Amino acid sequence: MSTTATTTLPRIRGEVSYWAYLVPGGALFLAIIVLPFVMNIYFSLTRWPGLGDPTFIGLENYVRLFQDEVFWTSFRNSIAMIVAMVVVPTLLGLLLAAVLFDYIGKKFSGSVSSGLRAVYYLPQILPVTVVGILWSWILNPQTGALNVVLRSLGLDGMALNWLGSTDTALPSVMAVMVWVQVGYPVVIFMSALQRVDPELYEAAELDGAGWFTRFRAITLPQIKPETFVVTLTCTIAALKVFGPIYVLTRGGPENSTNVPSYFAYQNFFPKSQVGYGAAIATVLTVIVLLVAAIFMVLQARSERKEAEGR
Amino acid sequence: MRTTPTRLAALTGAVALAAGLTACSGSDDGGGGDGGTADATSLKLWHYESPNGAMGIAWAEAIKVFEEEHPGVTIEFEEKSFEQIQQTAGMILSSDEGPDIMEYNKGNATTGLLSSQGLLTDITAVADERGWTDMLSPSLATTAQYDESGVMGSGNWFGIPNYGEFVTVYYNKAMFEDAGLEVPTSLDEMVEVMDTFVAEGVTPLGMAGAEYPAGQLFYQLTLSQVDRQWITDYQMFTGPVDWQGPELTFGAETFAEWVDAGYVASDSASLKAEDMGVAFINGTYPMMVSGSWWYGRLVDEIDGFEWGVFNFPGNTFNAGSSGNLWVVPTNSKAPELAYDFIDITMRPEIQAILGNNGGLPVAADPADITDAKSQELITAFNEVLENDGLAFYPDWPVPGFYDVIVNSVQKLINGSAEPATVLDELGAAYDQGVANAG
Repeated sequence: MSTTATTTLPRIRGEVSYWAYLVPGGALFLAIIVLPFVMNIYFSLTRWPGLGDPTFIGLENYVRLFQDEVFWTSFRNSIAMIVAMVVVPTLLGLLLAAVLFDYIGKKFSGSVSSGLRAVYYLPQILPVTVVGILWSWILNPQTGALNVVLRSLGLDGMALNWLGSTDTALPSVMAVMVWVQVGYPVVIFMSALQRVDPELYEAAELDGAGWFTRFRAITLPQIKPETFVVTLTCTIAALKVFGPIYVLTRGGPENSTNVPSYFAYQNFFPKSQVGYGAAIATVLTVIVLLVAAIFMVLQARSERKEAEGR
Repeated sequence: MRTTPTRLAALTGAVALAAGLTACSGSDDGGGGDGGTADATSLKLWHYESPNGAMGIAWAEAIKVFEEEHPGVTIEFEEKSFEQIQQTAGMILSSDEGPDIMEYNKGNATTGLLSSQGLLTDITAVADERGWTDMLSPSLATTAQYDESGVMGSGNWFGIPNYGEFVTVYYNKAMFEDAGLEVPTSLDEMVEVMDTFVAEGVTPLGMAGAEYPAGQLFYQLTLSQVDRQWITDYQMFTGPVDWQGPELTFGAETFAEWVDAGYVASDSASLKAEDMGVAFINGTYPMMVSGSWWYGRLVDEIDGFEWGVFNFPGNTFNAGSSGNLWVVPTNSKAPELAYDFIDITMRPEIQAILGNNGGLPVAADPADITDAKSQELITAFNEVLENDGLAFYPDWPVPGFYDVIVNSVQKLINGSAEPATVLDELGAAYDQGVANAG
């Protein structure tokens, strides 16, 4: 979206023309974000099957929402999704990026580490439907590759009903999400590591700092901005996750893997309860905005602290 | 975070298509009738059957016949997907971009909803005049008629079905022969057959708990205990449904017993209909209780063993209904041409094509059905029709009941809740849906 026009218009006209540049973006923002958002809030205050005229019912949908067991389950599952799509991939990604950059990249060659990086990133490129179908084959309790392998090793007791039992469905979905997600932080962190001034490491090494000390004292603080970006974007993605749930489990068994987006979808389309679906979507949006705001405040605070520290 | 590109592309494509094909702006009197038909030179037709399926083949022929009989009129056929129509029909039909005739999903939440919103033409008079109403048996006609609030079963005609569908039992003849078994004719015999297979270490019934098959088996079992009035009450809200009554209790308890006895695999809660079908095709299970929609695929894909169908043993009533409907949108620019087209699809020769390709025609002359395999299925279907035995589907009465049924029956498969608890849950969702519909 950024324009790199270097016009030399007179100063006064220049200020006006900046606004002109914002018009297309502003119009799109209005039409694609603001208008649907406002409409969604309006629909959430109505009962509406998707056709005809909505009936205004005030906050009834929200009252029903907060009493709905499935709604609370779906938000508990959101937390599980944050673990699977943010916490674990970020930590794992950090470790992998550091190993690839510091060890593989130096001991072997740059092409080995970038080859490995591409492999970690591969699940991100695959369309989510492909990922979902692939994993539901692998995890099929009767004929899936995982259970076939386990049984052939004589580990029949470990061949569980992965996506079918309420005990294992959520952990299985989480494991798949870690696999999908881990490539993203790896790529971001590796490019971040390239940005870090090597002199810092050399100086620390001369002072006798070991690998872990250097990692903690130099790497982590230096790549903080990237860490914020990764955790923020992944958290939002985790709160909105839909595709993998739709393809893998349809929120089942017994709603044990339902998430807010899928729950909203179920009400919007199959149940034709647009008002209720809109209420779920509104609550989800509010939570996403809150989380984003908290992140931004934290990031700004940490940047300010750093600036003061110098 | 990542939307699937294919879906997005399909959507954009559909929008572009709809926008690009804004044909002549005919009369907008909206009252159906014959406004604008006289000078119409095209009939915009949408359906979503695959071109090599029974309906696709029969309708392609119907299009050819139509164009021969209407020189100067061309049919602009656009192939749509089920999902596309299911999710966007309301919006499209309230715009000017819609078709003049289209295939649409039967049921309260689809044709019922749209008819109650005035988006579909009431074709009662035409259907009487052209004799369509006489061709359809009562349980087929149920899904073509909707009352003012969009509930099927009574009121005016808003669509015409060309074909039917029903739930039956597919069985692997080779496995039956190896085990020395005969086709069961009662539920007790069915249990004996299944016991024999279990004793041999074979799970007798294919199952898929994450989709419709589990709910349909539960419904089939319930139907073994009911009369027509019960079905009418359940589907059309003509009377209260007792969720702890003997019928549904039998359905839920028997289902749970079948899981306990190993007739149904206890690890099938996450399996999809596709998994079940593929397992049957591979010869893993000797039986599968499912719909006639599998038939064509099984004919194509099973080799290596003989297979056949028998109706659910002992049942007078079986899940099933008319197929999807031809509907004429209120905004149709050529309603008379649309009626002519529907009339052609109901002719014996077109119905015979449908029947000889694995479909279930509603108005075919049995003598025209020459394909032996198709005859078998049509015979089974006619057996159900003779009893007026189509009982529709368990999830039809209230919107969104499908998800509730899937979730609840998964509990029966996983053994995580008692049948009575499961029925309570289903009953609560059903009652809430009925209250909303009223």
